[in-house]
Amino acid sequence: MLSLFNTLHYRAWLTVALIVVLTGCNTTPANKNAILLAQQGQFEQAKTAIETSYPASGKNKLLRHLELGTLYHLEQRYQLSNENLDKAKAIIEEQYTISVSEQALALLSGPTYTTFSGKEFHRPLINVFKALNYNALANQYPAQRQYYLDAALVEMRQLDTYLSTLTDETGGYDGKPSGDGLTDRVMRILQPLLAPNDLLKNIDYKDDAFAHYISGILYESSNELDAARIQYQRAAEAFEQGFADQYDLGTHATKQAYTDLARVMQKAGGYRNELNELEEKWGDSINEARQAGPRLTVVQNAGIGPQRKEFNLLLRADHSAKALVVTPILWGTSAERKAQMWWFQMLYADTSLFDMMQNYATGDLGDVAMGALTKRLPLGDTLWQSAKTAGLIDALEHGSRIAVTYLEPFEQKIDKSELWIEGKKVAELDNYHSVSLLTLQSALKNANREMQIALTREVVKAMTAHKAIQSTGLQAFDGFAKLATSVVNAVTAGADLRQWQSLPAQIKLTQVPVTLGTVNITLKTKLRSGKVIEQSDTLEINKNMTLWHTRTFIESAQSAAPTTLLTME
Amino acid sequence: MNCKTTLLKLTPLVVACSLAITGCSSTKVQRVDANQEVALSDKWNGKDSQLVAEAMINDMLSFPWVNDHLQKEGTRPAIIIQSVRNKSHQHIAVDTFLNDLKRSILRSGQADFVANKDVRQEIRDERKDQELNASLETQNEMGQEQGADYALSGTINSFVDEQGGDRVTFYQVDLRLIDMTTNREVWNGQKKIQKLQERSRFGF
Repeated sequence: MLSLFNTLHYRAWLTVALIVVLTGCNTTPANKNAILLAQQGQFEQAKTAIETSYPASGKNKLLRHLELGTLYHLEQRYQLSNENLDKAKAIIEEQYTISVSEQALALLSGPTYTTFSGKEFHRPLINVFKALNYNALANQYPAQRQYYLDAALVEMRQLDTYLSTLTDETGGYDGKPSGDGLTDRVMRILQPLLAPNDLLKNIDYKDDAFAHYISGILYESSNELDAARIQYQRAAEAFEQGFADQYDLGTHATKQAYTDLARVMQKAGGYRNELNELEEKWGDSINEARQAGPRLTVVQNAGIGPQRKEFNLLLRADHSAKALVVTPILWGTSAERKAQMWWFQMLYADTSLFDMMQNYATGDLGDVAMGALTKRLPLGDTLWQSAKTAGLIDALEHGSRIAVTYLEPFEQKIDKSELWIEGKKVAELDNYHSVSLLTLQSALKNANREMQIALTREVVKAMTAHKAIQSTGLQAFDGFAKLATSVVNAVTAGADLRQWQSLPAQIKLTQVPVTLGTVNITLKTKLRSGKVIEQSDTLEINKNMTLWHTRTFIESAQSAAPTTLLTME
Repeated sequence: MNCKTTLLKLTPLVVACSLAITGCSSTKVQRVDANQEVALSDKWNGKDSQLVAEAMINDMLSFPWVNDHLQKEGTRPAIIIQSVRNKSHQHIAVDTFLNDLKRSILRSGQADFVANKDVRQEIRDERKDQELNASLETQNEMGQEQGADYALSGTINSFVDEQGGDRVTFYQVDLRLIDMTTNREVWNGQKKIQKLQERSRFGF
């Protein structure tokens, strides 16, 4: 009776500790706050927030330079943006060599103790942002136009080297499937839920059609037609062979890339057969855009990418079923709890018939109905005994908190974006990239591995603490010591929420013929809520290709007047 | 007793950690000769710029155009640098490379340099200012500039091949010298540099 009281008492304390920890988990990361400040135009405060939270020499130094790079970019201080992005690129290069000692420390403490090394899709985005900065400098300083365009092309050559290596490793969109077992497993888990949506058929980041396309535009700006042709061709093929489907872009980007390919082939001359093939494939529509003369490409970076948030699970041992059971601890606002449930069901829960049968076989009929809310790992007699001998079952007496990440759901808020020149609507922008989907797919791909590592880490921590209690002769305080260990582990468990937060949610683009000289353009972004955001600028059109980019924040418009005039290149 | 044993067991770990932390936090700065190569990566560096400039100018001055010009005109040829475009995959300080080129030519004593467009304009502005503000004896006349006989231009290209942690970078600098009267290419030089960078996937 006393034992039962103690157990209940300890569990009450553990619950209190968990609540305290989980309440602390709900804080908004500094880089999310910074980009929210930036969208209100408060750049100095945003930069201060980044500089204060991410020191220049700490394990988060990459985040510091990525976020500052974006903030300076938004502020149109392109040289400073490039300096920061250059440092970020160097840090990513350094991280090629994995520190074994740091990984060992992370296994015992948590992923946040490692140096943040970014994601595989960050490097191409750094190159693209730097190139856009150099392009903007070329537009700002006509006397040094060639110098800055050359610098932009340096970035595109680096990008090409990186993407060539990436496609060698992954097979690209025209190669064989990468055969990544983890991806296949994630796909199988997702299949029952998302089978109608073919989006997750393949979620590897294997090439970047958008980056190739921007590269083609910049080469064409410098009249380097051969290089432009190669990049347009790579972009067109990647869009067509899977990139457009993977990031839900529709078919326009593919057609535009083939049209641009045809145009530079015609300009360069000597591609009669290839042009005929393109005409056969795309018909007369490809000819319309092949007319010679200056062209304007408008790139719209819209919104803010989704935030990574922490999701907590409780790992405990089920003595009667001889199984380890993982139960989600839904926490936060109603929307957050729903998102956590959705994420858990999508990835971890026993939703397949096979898993439900396993629940049934372990004798826990109650959990068959609750299958969607638990992940059960039946150990069987032999493994259960081994786990007991190793002290694992004892270490999990009060349960262990496992922290993993989930991505907040995102919704499409833009109805359409229109390009107006000299007061006339000339085109609608189409989707060319979805950084939101890219981030989501990256998170999904890593989710099972993350859970596995988190599970291992917490078990190792619990077992190490349990053995330490035994070796230091504190058995007299066994119950209290175990509780203390559980509480300490619960507090130190933490998911790695670090990410380049200031990236846009999606990238839209259009390309139109224009006349040489000065033009006044307006970009009208119509939101589903009915509000309209207007951004205007005056441009000097060059003889080949002029590239103009802007960032449109969606949230700031909601609190502003229905029509807002912003001029942010 | 148990506590003491535990502490004894932990001592080497604590010492090792302390040493590791001390080692990590040290920063060392030393002065090194500007001519000494310090290659931290396979990027184009100051030594590459200097070596390529010297080699190319030696090659350029070994061609017959210098003597031909001396025999024909009786003066040293005057060269203007038009542009050297960076078409490589690295951001290269082209101005530094151009300065290395100029120094190599001037050091040879076989040719003169004419200032480029921007510098010429600055000097012209200065002469205009002299006309208004300097004494007659110290004023420099307008219209007495030396015109260039030859124009130097070129490109820096690079190719990269990467596999795992190994990367081979190949830089190629191409320069050409054009006779400004006849458009005849009197010299064409090429210098190649290849660098291998090896990185291990795991480290302590």
